[in-house]
Amino acid sequence: MRTNVFALDPLFLDDVGFEEVGIVLLKVVVAFVMLLVSVMLMVWFERKFISDMQNRIGPNVAGPFGILQTFADGIKLFFKEDLIPERSDRFVFKLAPYLSLVPAFLVFVIVPIGGDFGEDGDGTVTWFGHETFLQVADAPVGVLFFLAMSSLAVYGVMLAGWSSGSKYPLLGSVRASAQMVSYEAALGLSLAAVILKTGSLSSHDIALAQTGGIVNWNVLATGIVPFVIFLIAGTAELNRPPFDLVEAEQELVGGFHTEYSSLRFALFFLAEFMNTVTMSAIIVTLFFGGPAGPTYAGPAWLWGMFWFMLKLLVFLGVFVWFRATLPRLRYDQLMDLGWKILIPLSLGWFLFVAALEIGDNRGWSRVVVAIVSGAALALGALLMSAAISASRRQRLDEQAESDSPVGAR
Amino acid sequence: MLGQYLPILALGVLAVLFAAVSFVASKLLAPRRPTSAKAAPYECGIVPTKEAPERFPVRFFLVAMIFIVFDIEIIFIYPWATIFEGLGLYGLVAMLIFAFAVFESFVYLVGNGALDWGPLKKQVPRTR
Amino acid sequence: MSAAAVLADIDWHVEQQVFFYLIATTQVVAAWRVVTTKNIVHAALYLVVVLAGVAAQFILLGAEFIASTQVLVYIGAVIVLFLFGIMLTQARIGAENDLDQPNRLPAVLTAGLLAILTVSTVIRTFEDVELPDNSRTTTASVSDSIFSDYIIAFEAVSVLLLAALIGAIVVARKD
Repeated sequence: MRTNVFALDPLFLDDVGFEEVGIVLLKVVVAFVMLLVSVMLMVWFERKFISDMQNRIGPNVAGPFGILQTFADGIKLFFKEDLIPERSDRFVFKLAPYLSLVPAFLVFVIVPIGGDFGEDGDGTVTWFGHETFLQVADAPVGVLFFLAMSSLAVYGVMLAGWSSGSKYPLLGSVRASAQMVSYEAALGLSLAAVILKTGSLSSHDIALAQTGGIVNWNVLATGIVPFVIFLIAGTAELNRPPFDLVEAEQELVGGFHTEYSSLRFALFFLAEFMNTVTMSAIIVTLFFGGPAGPTYAGPAWLWGMFWFMLKLLVFLGVFVWFRATLPRLRYDQLMDLGWKILIPLSLGWFLFVAALEIGDNRGWSRVVVAIVSGAALALGALLMSAAISASRRQRLDEQAESDSPVGAR
Repeated sequence: MLGQYLPILALGVLAVLFAAVSFVASKLLAPRRPTSAKAAPYECGIVPTKEAPERFPVRFFLVAMIFIVFDIEIIFIYPWATIFEGLGLYGLVAMLIFAFAVFESFVYLVGNGALDWGPLKKQVPRTR
Repeated sequence: MSAAAVLADIDWHVEQQVFFYLIATTQVVAAWRVVTTKNIVHAALYLVVVLAGVAAQFILLGAEFIASTQVLVYIGAVIVLFLFGIMLTQARIGAENDLDQPNRLPAVLTAGLLAILTVSTVIRTFEDVELPDNSRTTTASVSDSIFSDYIIAFEAVSVLLLAALIGAIVVARKD
């Protein structure tokens, strides 16, 4: 097995010629088409799954089982009138859909969707005599790239709301961007434990480190807590139910894209579902071994792809399941959950895992390390809850002061 | 090095092209009959009387500020996590000092109610 | 053949030069628009372009970690803070004429002095340092230097963050 110091795609190790460029372009185009098709299927899957849960039929007219419904909706949107509100900032109004869509496309490049991730595979595939990874690009800072792109997604939401020159979109977008920013911190901190286990930021290396059985999957290796935090924070980052306060229809009309119609709306919609697909793919890659799984007869990279798709489908189902079952949070509950529970917990858990690892390396007793760091964590939790109750007391006092009528006595 | 980033650039260009071409297509296909009612801000049929609000609670600003702090913490934690095994106990202590300094000020912040949202539930006194 | 050796064979210089000047021109134009645009949100967006250009330059130099840090912290957090700040006070749509200041001469003088200072410092410090061909700063080498040479600076950052959070409390008090 090649030791990939730089986590570089082996495709670039030999001279870069026309064939290599061709393979890269092929990968880019395939990823592009796959993303669009997967969004189409995801929208259909979500509608069908939800209607099953609610004892309805759902889309069933366009194509077999209504599978072409999204396609039909998309075509319809091309023929709808494109309105630009008169009070809007036209330049930013037109720019915002791009700012939503482009990061949504770009995040997917770090996801390895297949390759030989069997017992002793190295995650590569050989095409036309060239060894390469089944991912568009293996940036050595893959995880940071993911975080950077999801922080760019805030711009689309924020600017769309502001540029509309309308009340509800502005309220929705400020809420949404505060929410996305808050949960991004939790997202990043929960990932730190994964990096701790792998020692690399490259998504390919992280997937490769999880081969060889379920015990090596990061979800177990990091002790489930980072995965749970990531799943919650990821759902919030996507603005999906139960964290969809952004487009709480009952209070904000449609959230930041209220003023958008026709294709501009379609692009926001596309970006939203594309982000859902990508987030599931990233959860699978970082916590569930990506394409890792047993290989049987046939080419190993195809098995990798099969396992990846299977795991991806599970998480897409989980996101829809969330939407069907969980009621929406209130805004203060949302912020409390993110800042006062998820962020301190993920930071504490990261330090806990690090202490355990270092203790193991130095031959300390696991029990002692666990007790000492557990005590430290408990102390931190105690401090946190003391702070929360202190601020609560203070607010109750203030409220009592302002409530008591002035001339009552 | 550069080679690793060119596919990302290519996909980005493709995404922009896709959006641009779709807009052109929509412009050609869609009707264009603007009226003043259509161009007004949408408020579920009510004629808008007030301008959009111009000021927001300072809390939102605060959230963005605290986010920067945690973002910077993430930026330092990630490289630490890639080499922490080589650093051993020394690295752990260095990181603990760093994390503690941020955590205790965060606790102080929470204790001062910087991250409280919305009104507290009114405690209705039980009167019979 | 090792990865580094093969990479060294590729001649990136021409491409690097072309990309450098492309990005640098974009940055200069965007920076000019930051100060000339009549809308404060537009100014913030042009600033994003400038900062994204810095990130692109870092990638061109093979410093991916710094580049992603640039995007994550500056574009993803600092400008978002700016935008929140703008929306807190006023973010009107359309041109505003009171954004301009009459103190143009002092501004030009300050900017010029600052430019001379920065350029001369950079030149004097790195006068005869030559960037090795295909230099590549890995995350591991960045963290190696953070946790050895710059450990004091690293801990000082935590104090700085503490100060920032205390500052946040002052802002939050009785809003």
